[in-house]
Amino acid sequence: MTLTIRDLAEGDALTPMVIAVTATVIVAGAVATRDFMPVHHDKAYAESQGAPDIFMNILSSNAYCSRFLTDWAGPEAVVRRVAIRLGVPVFPNSTLTFTGTVSSIDVATATVEITLQASTPMGDHLTGTASLCLPRGGASG
Amino acid sequence: MTSAEPESLAQRLEALVGTPVGPAGPSVGPDPVNQPMIRHWAAAFEDANPAYTDPAWAEASSFGEIVAPPLMLQTWVLPTPIITGIAERGGSPVEIEGSGPLGVLDDAGFVGTLASNSEFEFERYLHLGEVLSATTIIESISPEKRTRIGPGHFITWVTTWRDEAGEVVGRQMFRILKFRPELAGP
Repeated sequence: MTLTIRDLAEGDALTPMVIAVTATVIVAGAVATRDFMPVHHDKAYAESQGAPDIFMNILSSNAYCSRFLTDWAGPEAVVRRVAIRLGVPVFPNSTLTFTGTVSSIDVATATVEITLQASTPMGDHLTGTASLCLPRGGASG
Repeated sequence: MTSAEPESLAQRLEALVGTPVGPAGPSVGPDPVNQPMIRHWAAAFEDANPAYTDPAWAEASSFGEIVAPPLMLQTWVLPTPIITGIAERGGSPVEIEGSGPLGVLDDAGFVGTLASNSEFEFERYLHLGEVLSATTIIESISPEKRTRIGPGHFITWVTTWRDEAGEVVGRQMFRILKFRPELAGP
């Protein structure tokens, strides 16, 4: 089931999503997005660049944003925009917790604006906004 | 004409605004939008959205057929990497001709790179079999700014993805900071 625009109210919280981040999670995401930068799979290389370990690539951060949005809204929600500001990196053996809120609803265009963040124990990995188009719902269908 | 006078860094950066990053023409995706890569992506992110991998569900849905995850947009047009030498190339998947804006700033001592912002907009979802191309243009380079990690310049580029008919399917604004690392004070 997908939420309809009539199901929502400003201030509604999205269902949180927690990712238990391991080296496997980071490497799987990098390869699936076709990002072979060594900092995302080679610990020795990452250390040579001043990082304590490999870290999640931005394509993966964006991928998890879309999963977070459609896990909550349902599979027929259409992602129109994902705008993020990047913060602390995500290293293995950490958690990445996505939370979000409905910030505005435009019934005429069936569009909902979301504010979201993904945090780690070291601070925010990303903060941002997103737009989704949802089914209109209602008695008139 | 006083050609002996070297160009200032500001002049060299200014000249880069509006120019393409990477090859002069559009980059074309090495493979069309396809189910195996979508399935691999969905598995990696444990994204169970049936619009991406369940043809029967997708046919009966408002999408009418399988759609690609919107945030895979960038992935379709990344070059096939040359694995040998990738570390020596600083992680670049292929050889890059010329130094571009990053090289100009590296040469001026702004050797650190920090990703700052990403903004994706999607005009429509993609279907299996579509071939995409992408063009990336430098939109702006800021004057030198003082940041908490050192002085640097923000570089903003915009990538536009098009379908085979030339219609825009999505865009990404991406901003990085190229900075001169400062040692921590006492």
